[in-house]
Amino acid sequence: MSTLEIAQFKHISAIHNRDFNGLPISSTSTAVNLTGSWKFFRPKMAEKGSPCQSACPLRIPIAGYLRQLAEQNPAAALETLREINPLPAVTGRVCPHFCEAACNRLEFDEAVKIGDLERWLGDFGLDRPHRFAPAPETDLKVAVVGAGPAGLAAAVFLARRGVAVEIFERGQEAGGLLASAIPAYRLPRDILRNELDNLLSSYPAITLHCDRNIDPGELTALAKEFAAIILATGLPESIIPAAWQDNPRVIGALKLLATINRGMEIEGDRFTVVGGGNAALDAARSLLRRGKKVEIVYRRTLAEMPAYEEEKEQARAEGITIHQETVVGGLENRGENLQLTLCRAQKENGGIVAGEVLRREDCDILVVAIGQQAADGYLQAKLPETILRAGDFAHGAATVAEALASGRKAAAQVWSRLNDCPVPSETGEPLGIADFTRVHPDYFHPRPAVRPNLLPARERRAGFAEIRTGLSPAETCREAERCFSCGTCTTCGICWFFCPEVAIAIAPDAGSDNGKVLFDYDHCKGCGQCAAICPRGVIEMEEDL
Amino acid sequence: MQQEAILLGSEAVAHGVRLCRPEVISAYPITPQTHIIETLSEMVDDGELTSRFIKVESEMSAIAAVLGAVSAGSRSFTASSSQGLAMMHELLHWYAGARLPLVLVNANRALGAPWNIWSDQSDSFSQRDTGWLQIYCETSQEALDTIIIAYRASELLMLPIMVMIDGFILSHTMERLLVPDQEMVDDFLPPYQAPYKLDPDKPLTFGAAAQPDLFYELKKTMSATMLEAGPLLKECERSFAAIFDRAYEPVIHCPEGDEKADTALICCGATTGTAREAVKRLRQENIAIDLFKMRLLRPFPQTELIAALEGKKRIIILNRALSYGVGGTLSQELRAALYNLDRRPVINDVIISLGGREVFPETIMDIVKRRKELSPTASNWL
Ligand SMILES: Cc1cc2nc3c(=O)[nH]c(=O)nc-3n(C[C@H](O)[C@H](O)[C@H](O)COP(=O)(O)OP(=O)(O)OC[C@H]3O[C@@H](n4cnc5c(N)ncnc54)[C@H](O)[C@@H]3O)c2cc1C
Repeated sequence: MSTLEIAQFKHISAIHNRDFNGLPISSTSTAVNLTGSWKFFRPKMAEKGSPCQSACPLRIPIAGYLRQLAEQNPAAALETLREINPLPAVTGRVCPHFCEAACNRLEFDEAVKIGDLERWLGDFGLDRPHRFAPAPETDLKVAVVGAGPAGLAAAVFLARRGVAVEIFERGQEAGGLLASAIPAYRLPRDILRNELDNLLSSYPAITLHCDRNIDPGELTALAKEFAAIILATGLPESIIPAAWQDNPRVIGALKLLATINRGMEIEGDRFTVVGGGNAALDAARSLLRRGKKVEIVYRRTLAEMPAYEEEKEQARAEGITIHQETVVGGLENRGENLQLTLCRAQKENGGIVAGEVLRREDCDILVVAIGQQAADGYLQAKLPETILRAGDFAHGAATVAEALASGRKAAAQVWSRLNDCPVPSETGEPLGIADFTRVHPDYFHPRPAVRPNLLPARERRAGFAEIRTGLSPAETCREAERCFSCGTCTTCGICWFFCPEVAIAIAPDAGSDNGKVLFDYDHCKGCGQCAAICPRGVIEMEEDL
Repeated sequence: MQQEAILLGSEAVAHGVRLCRPEVISAYPITPQTHIIETLSEMVDDGELTSRFIKVESEMSAIAAVLGAVSAGSRSFTASSSQGLAMMHELLHWYAGARLPLVLVNANRALGAPWNIWSDQSDSFSQRDTGWLQIYCETSQEALDTIIIAYRASELLMLPIMVMIDGFILSHTMERLLVPDQEMVDDFLPPYQAPYKLDPDKPLTFGAAAQPDLFYELKKTMSATMLEAGPLLKECERSFAAIFDRAYEPVIHCPEGDEKADTALICCGATTGTAREAVKRLRQENIAIDLFKMRLLRPFPQTELIAALEGKKRIIILNRALSYGVGGTLSQELRAALYNLDRRPVINDVIISLGGREVFPETIMDIVKRRKELSPTASNWL
């Protein structure tokens, strides 16, 4: 090593002898300089709801559980999810996923496949009992009529509050339309049963009485025995036009689907289904899988069919003909046959009537799927106001997620009424929504969504095997990583990195609420950089009073 | 061992930098400097150089990034030119004031408007008051060597050094030169041992507010250190020569010049090469002219300059940078320095080139021949 004589240079050698006098360096702390006194605005943590969460009827904290999934902690993710949604294996499969249509990533590349992730997590939870914070037991007893998703949700959220619940179900098993209407190729029976069994066995406070029809007339007596009654009887009857009601060759879609779902034989070979909703498609596709000839007649255009787009597409791929803008103008029983008169749909007075006759056609059975209504006695019954309603019976035919949300809400209302307290909420009210303008796409990388496989149409027609395959654990993790976590602090540390005043600390116990990011207000000058760069739109500035 | 090679000026610079093993490199591309960092980024990519290469969106960020890196104790490098250097201006002051070492290579280029990418020393001359040392190179070999010398000096001084090459004239032309091997350089340049640095375990405050009295004292010390910087640099150059067999000085007398001549030409940077040729040809025409090159501009080598120009009656200064309303910037520097001579020479301020205007040996020969007609006070334009 070459040596250099620097002793002759006074100032230079001073530095290397560690004499820092004359240098702009100090060993005194600047902490005494309370720069925080300069500020007019201060940052605060303001976690928000995500657009997916606000689109979800159940308000599932999607960003939260996807984060846990991405962090390879499915057990925690399951707890987060099931705290709000007691039937994720079901909704993961059948919910139309309002969340995906609202996902901020749609404006970036494509939506996160939340449904498939929920399904994976639901399946993960099938043999894991529900865990919930035990509530002090009460001596309250509540009756729930109907064990569909609404009734079950009501029961679960009451049971978690220490209330004893008795469910009265007129059918042989729980599940409502999930069991009786939704076909197995969309919702496999074993999955449904496992999820329901797991749910019921997780809450000893719930007692399920099957084969127990509750007549409206019985309600008054029931009201004496129970502190409250929740009616979640759904809309179990298909609407059938009066003229066809007594025709033995006409069947309602719900009855047909129930028969098929119970594994019973169906008479007839040629079927025509009237309608354009999910029930029509489920009926037609189920019949196809039973080897029947089937076609659909719908009065409006394909685009106007209320059934889910995916279902329409799949039905057509499976080879089901849909006659659009066609109505059944008349039917005539001819021996073994039913002759249909198919007419062009004609708009009249805001409605649709049979116009010009298109053709006449024979079939064995006409399946009617044009709407649902309450069971006979409940259709006209005047119910006492103290009885709460939930699910389809309360809000009309909707979806499983809405039924679950409605059941949960009914439970909260009952609780509030019985305890004379404000209506409790599992989800809380978010302080706002972190929409796309609030997230910073610069901090994220485009990455295509996972693509679950669909069984080829040919194989689908051969039976009731589930159409959509599930994700692998690795795919689940990767897909969950695509979530922006809009509105949720992930302790990413970008604010810490940018804070010019070193006035931000990322709490080690990330996840504890409020405690994710800590601001040192003694030194924060209120510059607002943290709020401006927060990738997830969490940090906000407020006036410093 | 030194390997003979034919390299572009910018490549020679990159090799000089590589041999100094910087831990962090950050720069923003600008013509004619871009090749330097491109070559370095390839070296990093190939694994030839194990530096962190920080991509940035501006020169301001580049200098800020290395400021951070060096504060934390890492040897670093950046390069720029023209508008880019001007954009760094604020932090050039801060950098020197922070008393941290760095080597920055500037490829001299004009500043707009109008738009011009060619050689011109106005960019670095206008940064001479920022507290940086400034060294101007005539050849690519000199640039390569100077980078190595500059790291050594900078880390002893705890002050940054700017090394200049003329844009295009050096950066974009090939030269036969010697590239020393790593061992030799390692022998000359020890790893950077920061006397003070950002360290959470031993917290220090850097560049925090100073009250007027303290500020004055700190600047006094910095100025005194600058006065030690010239001799220290000479020490470094001597030590370098001992290992690499190439000698450099703050003011270089060119052997092509006639020592006995009473007129001397003074150049800065690559113009010197052209002037050497001009002086040789003039000698054939029996016109005796001496020739000097100003290698060091900051700290200004006053003693060396006075010694070199002792006895000269006329000094012709070839400027490639202009201070509007005064004249050639280099001329102003020399005028001030030579004021202390007992017998002051006539000083001819010549604006030889701006914005890359070509300088041929004939251009310089013509000026010399017309020397009696040149104004001793006003600037002389071509
Ligand atoms: C064919 C079809 C396909 C569908 N597909 C989807 C889908 O893919 N995705 C989706 O989100 N939604 C779908 N839905 C809608 C969804 O199934 C319903 O919105 C949801 O099941 C409503 O839940 P609920 O609990 O209110 O009622 P139900 O599920 O109808 O449950 C009501 C329960 O009450 C019982 N009950 C009725 N009366 C009495 C009585 N008097 N005494 C005792 N018990 C009684 C019934 O037996 C039943 O078990 C579909 C509906 C149909 C018909």
